[in-house]
Amino acid sequence: MLEYRAYEQIERYLNGEMAIEEQQAFEALLHTDVRLSEQVREHKQLLNSLQKYGKRQSLKQQLQNIHTEMEAETIEATPSGWKVFWNRHKQTVAVAASVSMLSVFGTLWSVQQLKTPVQQQTARYVELRREVERLKKTQTAIINGINDASKPIPRAAAFSGTGFAISADGYLVTSSHVVEGADSIMIENKSGLKYKVSEVYRDEIHDLSILKISDPAFSGFGKLPYTFKTNESDLGEKVFTLGYPREDIVFGEGSLSSGSGFEGDTTAYQISIPLNPGNSGGPLLDDKGNLIGVISGKQAGQEGAAFAVKSAYLLQMIHELPASTTMAPMSLPKHNSLLGNTRPQQLKKLKDYVFVVKVYN
Amino acid sequence: MKKSLYETDEAVIDGIRRDDERALAYLYKLYFPMISHFILSNSGTDDEAKDIYQEGVIVFYEKIRDNSLELSCQIKTYLYSVCRRLWLKRLAEKGRYATKLEDTDNFVPVEEDTQQHEEQEKQFGIMGEALGQLGEPCRSLLEDYYINTQPMQVITEKFGYTNTDTAKNQKYKCLQRLKKIFFAAYKPGVE
Repeated sequence: MLEYRAYEQIERYLNGEMAIEEQQAFEALLHTDVRLSEQVREHKQLLNSLQKYGKRQSLKQQLQNIHTEMEAETIEATPSGWKVFWNRHKQTVAVAASVSMLSVFGTLWSVQQLKTPVQQQTARYVELRREVERLKKTQTAIINGINDASKPIPRAAAFSGTGFAISADGYLVTSSHVVEGADSIMIENKSGLKYKVSEVYRDEIHDLSILKISDPAFSGFGKLPYTFKTNESDLGEKVFTLGYPREDIVFGEGSLSSGSGFEGDTTAYQISIPLNPGNSGGPLLDDKGNLIGVISGKQAGQEGAAFAVKSAYLLQMIHELPASTTMAPMSLPKHNSLLGNTRPQQLKKLKDYVFVVKVYN
Repeated sequence: MKKSLYETDEAVIDGIRRDDERALAYLYKLYFPMISHFILSNSGTDDEAKDIYQEGVIVFYEKIRDNSLELSCQIKTYLYSVCRRLWLKRLAEKGRYATKLEDTDNFVPVEEDTQQHEEQEKQFGIMGEALGQLGEPCRSLLEDYYINTQPMQVITEKFGYTNTDTAKNQKYKCLQRLKKIFFAAYKPGVE
């Protein structure tokens, strides 16, 4: 009961409800009574905490009310479970995703690495027309131009290939991919004869084009030294070609290595002559000087696997010409003057009939 | 709308000092989206955003009521800084160390303020628990008397005591118990 009284006294003291004399007396007591002063201190702290706690609780309640009110106002769609999940785990998810991406692409990449050589063996067919080094030519042209300023600078050809005569009256053949997209076409042979030609017929399927010399100065090739072979040549036959993979004429020799071309194409031969861009459209001849095909392309990444369109298809096209165009029937060469000659002699006779085909666009 | 009333920070602070509930509500609604965005973009949930924001507002509110806030920046920045600090603490408690906190606003150092707040929170936590352990009717009796400051007369009637003396006696016993429980858990820090 004593403590109960003491409590009341302490509270009255703390609330300042004491009369002045009583308060002074109490304070004097506090100075001497350590236990009492400790009690007062504790009591004060307890009540203080309690009251502040109460205030805090009501403040929290107030904020809670405001929050509910605000939510009701905005009618905000509560985030779905997904959003919460995402917010909580997005770092982890991001790391997991990058790891899996890395491994997937890494695997793809290494598989690709393994596959590349195989791909090279099977896949690509390269057409052998040459992109002429523009810069070099233009430079020479400029140097020439210094000496003769009045002369217009000749434009460099964009592409070049090879072509050869098929009749004495000015018809030539080349690969149609050589003259593709041409504005104008010029031909030139080893002895420096230069003519302007135009494409008169094109067979995209067999990659063959017939060109005709449109130059008025042209008077005829004379007698062609080779004939066209109508039937198929045999495997292993020695074959050779002349062409312009660079500025000068180049001879290439090999054998007929297959009766079919790229990916089993029966209209072409496979030949083992190393060929380069610029060789396209060149003549393929056998030992006896028969024209057996027209060089058309090679397989990418594989040396010695080149292809030539069989001469039978060239002949077929020539025969169809009068029917599909207004051209007069061509007189094909009938006499073979290469037979029995040595190779250098054959080439000497042949080289005037093989032209570099320059394509401007 | 009443918005115009609290257009400036000063007006809001004034309102809170005058114990104007609308000022607090206005402030609360104004900056909740900012904090919510901040918490959500730093791996928090909506509930956590609400908790942190309310704590932040309390810190601000108490400081204003105490007149102990020297606001050297906008309320917005202050609230953001406090909430940011609180959220960092919360993340650390959860054992997730946000190495890179994605800041959505500027912030000023508020370590002292939040620390003081945490000290208080601890104290209030203990008080809440102590009151919980106290049980009824002690709890309500003490709350009514000390927090809601109801006169003894009313309490006597409400709890059905025969007279105020019994009520006072009861209150004394309750307070005695609360004191024991509270001080058993609470070791006062710097007061």
